[in-house]
Amino acid sequence: MTMKRVIAVLVMVALLGGGLAAMNAWAIDLGDILKVGGIAFLVSQYDKELDTFISSALGERGAAAKGATKVVPILSLGGGGYIGAAQVVGNPENVKSVKAVFQVEGRIGSFTPRILVPTTTDKVTGSPDRAKGVGVSAVIEFRI
Amino acid sequence: MRRSLKVPTVMALGLFAALAAAAAFSSAEVSYRSAEQDGKRVAEVLIGERSVIVLLTSAGGYRPLERAEIVANRLRAALTSDIRPEEVTVSSVPSGAGLNIRDQLIVAIYPTEANAHGATPTALARLWRDNILAAVGQPPAPELPQEQPAAEPAQPAPQEQPAEQPATESAAAKESEDVDWTGTAQKWVPIISVEQGGLSIGAAQIAGPPSQVNQVKAVAELRLTFRNIGRIYAYIPVRTLSVTKLDRVQGVSVWATGDVRLVNF
Repeated sequence: MTMKRVIAVLVMVALLGGGLAAMNAWAIDLGDILKVGGIAFLVSQYDKELDTFISSALGERGAAAKGATKVVPILSLGGGGYIGAAQVVGNPENVKSVKAVFQVEGRIGSFTPRILVPTTTDKVTGSPDRAKGVGVSAVIEFRI
Repeated sequence: MRRSLKVPTVMALGLFAALAAAAAFSSAEVSYRSAEQDGKRVAEVLIGERSVIVLLTSAGGYRPLERAEIVANRLRAALTSDIRPEEVTVSSVPSGAGLNIRDQLIVAIYPTEANAHGATPTALARLWRDNILAAVGQPPAPELPQEQPAAEPAQPAPQEQPAEQPATESAAAKESEDVDWTGTAQKWVPIISVEQGGLSIGAAQIAGPPSQVNQVKAVAELRLTFRNIGRIYAYIPVRTLSVTKLDRVQGVSVWATGDVRLVNF
């Protein structure tokens, strides 16, 4: 009888532990999903305001870029999701066509380069085509 | 004995009078203050007793009074020598207008500030230009018609011609087109922090036309906070390693950034 009780308790603990672990994993996934969705929402909501804010901050310091600017989301090429936003700068007609900046991270010894590629697409398919005459002037990290 | 004392006394008095006159004529008369206007707190920049620039809104992470301090410092530096009316100019900056004395930007005016005055950025810049000229005893520049914004305490100006604004916008577009951003010359330069006085904090790959890329010595990183929801890292390719004055090289942008990990945890 006592042995049966011990086994029952052990089974319950195992089930409860497994359930909690599963819930924890689910929570992490949900957090990531919420974060990616939150960044997409924030970029779409504040893109113009962020663009003006950055341009005015640089203008106040006499360092504004003489080119068209725009704020677009940053997509992680490895992760496949939205990880932030970037202000791109360049010729007006080229800037107009930019939809996202793809970020590729690497590591060469202790050096960790982060390549930022402005592109005319916001779909992560194959290698991104760099938009001509456009570069990054600011990177925005959201606190989510 | 009396005669021998007379000469040094006269010389000393003369020197004192000259110094006093120089001090009175110098840029020390530029000041700024917080004031109340129509029940609202505003920041004023003054030349002598005359309010020449009134700032109502925050911009670039600075509150109106902080902006007034920056503007007053720039104005003080620009007024160390006499200015002529044609040296005080209104230019276009991205999304706004700039008021300059010679080549120095005094204040950048964006739609938020202009709207608070009931004017366009260009019209407000022109009004402030004429206020400065009037305060230093110069006539307003005759070749550019003026626009009068509402509720501005400084000198009123005649109405601006309606055809002026589109001409300014096209000039701004032309200025953007004049800068070539299409070159693909590249190089890696250090990233220096504006907040940390020029400390090197990484590296950046820059790209642009070869002649411009050659001029770049570093990328200055400026950190800004946007509404407590975002941290912004603005990258400015600059000609010098100094961060006290950001001397931007136009036509050059950042393609990649990199950090060196000194310690792996």
